Amino acid sequence: MTVDPDKVWPTGLNVREAEEVHSYLIDGTRVFGAIALLAHILVAVSTPWLG
Amino acid sequence: MNNAKMRLVVAPSVGVPLFLGAVAVGSFAVHVAVLTNTSWVTDFLSGNPLGSGDAVAAAQITPGMETANASYVLPLASGQQEVTVILPDGTLARAILQPNNVLASVNPVPLATD
Repeated sequence: MTVDPDKVWPTGLNVREAEEVHSYLIDGTRVFGAIALLAHILVAVSTPWLG
Repeated sequence: MNNAKMRLVVAPSVGVPLFLGAVAVGSFAVHVAVLTNTSWVTDFLSGNPLGSGDAVAAAQITPGMETANASYVLPLASGQQEVTVILPDGTLARAILQPNNVLASVNPVPLATD
């Protein structure tokens, strides 16, 4: 199903804007996840966490 | 982008705080669970060697306690049980456990009345 890229949806966004907003959220999640992954690796190495 | 169209029906002013709030609540709950189920975080925050808190707590519960090496239970023909314990110094100690005596007063017979 094709969606009109210029259609304004009930949230006030069109598809292009929605993808832009979503891309920022995905980027932030990736950065957060990378920092959290590094922190958890350091904790797993330096503490009895997870045995 | 994958799932980006959800922003067309859920406003970012609702969806983004909901998402970030869920992440915050979830990670807070997990870390509280770790704090309440382990002792080494307290050791770390106190500057003590990790695991030393458990040793201190165990020493407080059973200071200088020596545990028996072994114990055996032997049922006797009389219905009693003979317990043999090998103490830390190698000597034996025996105890006779008698079965419970049911007292007549436990279940009094109701008096018959006219």
